[in-house]
Amino acid sequence: MLSEWQRNLWLRVKALIHRRRLDRDLEDEVSFHLAQREQKYRSEGLPPETARHATRRKFGNDTLLREQTRDMWTFNWIETLWQDVCYSARGLRKNPGFAAVVVFSLALGIGANSTIFSVLNAVLYRPLPFDQPDRLMMIWETEYGHKTQPPVAEIIDWNRQNNVFEDIASSSRTEAEPLGGGGGLPELIQTQFVSPNFFNVLRVRPLLGRIFLTSEIHDQTQTVVISHAFWMRRFGGDPNVLGKTFTVSGVLSTVVGVMPRGFAPFYGDKIDLWYPINPAGDRYSKRDDRGWLFAFGRLKPGVTRDQAEAEMAIIARRLEQTYPKTNKGIGVIVEPLHEALYNWAGRVLYPLAAAVGFVLLIACANVANLLLSRTETRRKEHAVRASLGAGRRRLMQQVLAESGLLAFLGAALGVVLTFGGIWLFRLLAGDFPNSASLGVDRNVLLFTLAACLLTTVLSGSLPALLASRPDLNLALREGEHRMTSGGRGRIRQALAVVETALAVVLLAGAGLMIHSVLRLMQVNPGFDPHNLITAATSVPEGGKYLDRVPGGSMEKTSPLVNAFYQQLAANLAALPGVESVGTISFLLGGDFRDFYILGQPSPPPEKMPGAMYNEVSPSLFHTLRIPLKKGRFLDSHDTSSSPWVVVVNEAFAKRYIPHEDPIGKRLLLRYRGYGVDEPQPRQIVGVVGDVRHVGLARTTPEMIYAAYFQQPAAYPGGTVMPHLHQDLVIRTASPLAGREAEFSAAIKKAVAKLDPDQPVTDITTADRLLASSIEDSRFYLQLLATFAAMAVLLAAIGIYGVMAYFVRERTREIGIRIALGAQGRSVLGMIAQLGLKLTCLGIVIGLAMALGLTRLVADLFAVSTSDPATIAGVVLGLLVIALFACYFPARRATQVDPMVTLRYQ
Amino acid sequence: MSDKPQPPGELLRDTLDMLILKTVSRGAMHGYAIAEHIEETSEDVLRVGEGALYPALHRLELRGLLSAEWGTSENKRRAKYYRLTAAGRKWLGEESAHWTKMTSAIGRVMETA
Repeated sequence: MLSEWQRNLWLRVKALIHRRRLDRDLEDEVSFHLAQREQKYRSEGLPPETARHATRRKFGNDTLLREQTRDMWTFNWIETLWQDVCYSARGLRKNPGFAAVVVFSLALGIGANSTIFSVLNAVLYRPLPFDQPDRLMMIWETEYGHKTQPPVAEIIDWNRQNNVFEDIASSSRTEAEPLGGGGGLPELIQTQFVSPNFFNVLRVRPLLGRIFLTSEIHDQTQTVVISHAFWMRRFGGDPNVLGKTFTVSGVLSTVVGVMPRGFAPFYGDKIDLWYPINPAGDRYSKRDDRGWLFAFGRLKPGVTRDQAEAEMAIIARRLEQTYPKTNKGIGVIVEPLHEALYNWAGRVLYPLAAAVGFVLLIACANVANLLLSRTETRRKEHAVRASLGAGRRRLMQQVLAESGLLAFLGAALGVVLTFGGIWLFRLLAGDFPNSASLGVDRNVLLFTLAACLLTTVLSGSLPALLASRPDLNLALREGEHRMTSGGRGRIRQALAVVETALAVVLLAGAGLMIHSVLRLMQVNPGFDPHNLITAATSVPEGGKYLDRVPGGSMEKTSPLVNAFYQQLAANLAALPGVESVGTISFLLGGDFRDFYILGQPSPPPEKMPGAMYNEVSPSLFHTLRIPLKKGRFLDSHDTSSSPWVVVVNEAFAKRYIPHEDPIGKRLLLRYRGYGVDEPQPRQIVGVVGDVRHVGLARTTPEMIYAAYFQQPAAYPGGTVMPHLHQDLVIRTASPLAGREAEFSAAIKKAVAKLDPDQPVTDITTADRLLASSIEDSRFYLQLLATFAAMAVLLAAIGIYGVMAYFVRERTREIGIRIALGAQGRSVLGMIAQLGLKLTCLGIVIGLAMALGLTRLVADLFAVSTSDPATIAGVVLGLLVIALFACYFPARRATQVDPMVTLRYQ
Repeated sequence: MSDKPQPPGELLRDTLDMLILKTVSRGAMHGYAIAEHIEETSEDVLRVGEGALYPALHRLELRGLLSAEWGTSENKRRAKYYRLTAAGRKWLGEESAHWTKMTSAIGRVMETA
């Protein structure tokens, strides 16, 4: 059964379609009534004339009744609204320049908001693209309060003991691994280790073939599931790909399945393939092998997150009792997967959303200004209409129709700008989670619609309120309609102040950001980055370079690894134009080792100090031009047969050996997370200058540089990576500019000559590498600066509008002043004084707001909140812009011809 | 637009609606007959112009309390006949119960005062 309003609507729609019939029917009905009544009167003996009049009298005002009835049936309010919209459109067409500026400023505001919303939507609001994503939970371990990731053995216990999850799966982070030649050039591919139930928990089926069996082991040969993108790229979408083999990290890999397009959990990485983790394999049996796996589970139906966490906590306590050695102090946190993966993005994106919100507010203030000045000039019209009986609602509706029209035009153009904005955002941001799915979807359109409505109300309500209360007496008196009541002028001026304040906030934010990025660009990286080429190479964790020691997690390197890097460095150094060549595990970053200093009391395991760790060639310091502070550099005499030595940086010496001479101290390194010490200690032979190994924006880490050729034969688990992976740094003898391609080709050729299966990637210059280390800040800066520029532009338009109106309404006064002998300068001064007053007020309010708000961004990007020079720059810049916006109206004022203005009245 | 306050002295809208529905409850009637019947039985209480009946009839039709169809009158003219719908009957029942309760209450107050 239809509800009342549905039925009502249906009848009205029907009436709308059969409009003429409705009119005719109503006509018939009324005339039937009149005829019946008249006939009755006549039958009672009244004369025809009298009968007709009596009938009319008795019936009342039939025109009004007909109108009332018709209103009831039709969408009358829509029609009057439409009339108002048409009226507004005509008004705007008369002043197309200003209308275009206002619409465009709204479009900028709405477009920028929709763009940021579409990013929020893609990253934060859209559910994960899996079946019933809200039941997927990330399960963290906590170690002394810090989140860590559980070892495989723990996940097995969880799966056995819990009753709250259907299943718990795990996956490693995405890792880059070299893919050997054979069917293509060697390249680095993105891989993940996953538990066999990984795909089941996510409820995703392969496009082709199958997923992993629980019995499959990653060892000398392995099965892999490949991604759609990899299938297309490497195999051209060959339907017979199943059973094909290739070598990854030197291991022969057989394709057993292909996943559907777009499946790439969870970071939007372009994952190429998945290896199975076989939980039964002894490689994963260690209970303290923490920190490399994400565990996530699917809740059973009806189980809440709290219930799950409560039960997991009980299991954690039980495990603590069973395995006190490895599980002491280990707790569990259950967190919705979506939150665990993407919540960090909110802290970055919400300040941006606030910034674009400010831009839209400024645009709204501009529209309100325009509407106020229009209602001002139409006060007489409003008064006349009000005297003739127009209701307040009707008068308000007309102003709101105008703001609605502007907002709608702005929103329509804003959607177009959103497409552009998204394109730009992608261009600037590069890869971020779900960047592929970023776009204008239903949610974004709904958001735009909401922004449009909000704009209508924000910009229209104040002018509408004023228009609905016309002063009938004042407005109808001739000659006085050019005087504005002071109150209304002040409202407009207040709007200009607000606009300026908002612009100051954005400008201050952007200014502080610029300041900090400039400062970062001047940070001394600790080495000479000019004329330095860097590249990454890695020998595979398997194949001929690496043997797995049976019955444990140890991996034994083959002498081929040392030979490879020794030969490669020699070959590269022999290239023409190369001054020197060095290698280091990770130029930006490093592995970690815990350590203790021999001769000092050894701390308990959980309090053991740690430092960053890199294996380097002796020539590295010389090549990078890292200054020596004490002792000596590593050199070619530090071979496998001589005592093991290390060089540390000043930060290390200052923090860990502050009161003694560090030279001669001996460190025993421990593989972090494995509880295994190195077979022999290493003696500190030198202290070198600090290098910003983790990027210009971060503080220098304490660093241990170990000699590449002084290494154990076998490493536990993944700790072998700093040995297998080496970044090449090559200093050229002459300026590098313009010869990068030449060197790049030569480096590739040199690597391929040694081992055609080894890829060499990321060939770039150290200058560029450093720049990319502050890319996030730079990207943020670009966005903020863009929004600030918009805000300033819009605020300037606003100030211009207010000043122009101020001049226009004072034309007569100015004319009289000039007629009485006022100089152009004093007229100019009068205008400038008001402009300055408004701007300064705005700046003061804005600065107060900025000091509070920039703190939000400051924490994220290490921005100082109060840099006096920047603030002064912002203030000065805004003053100049504001004065510029005042200049044109002021000049017009000085050119007022007193005769014309006086005659005009 | 249907919620405008009514000028004093006019029959309250709900009361007019109730009278109309009550009248039509006897069977399908056209507007003139409804007006005649209300006038006769109410002894001219309804001093509004007869025309006021029509917006009320249309409003009730839109609310689904009345249904309407075109027919031919006793003197062979085209006329619109209104009939009570099930919803209209229900509304009338509720409203007249309410009315009775209220009038008797008022009556008691007036007598005792």
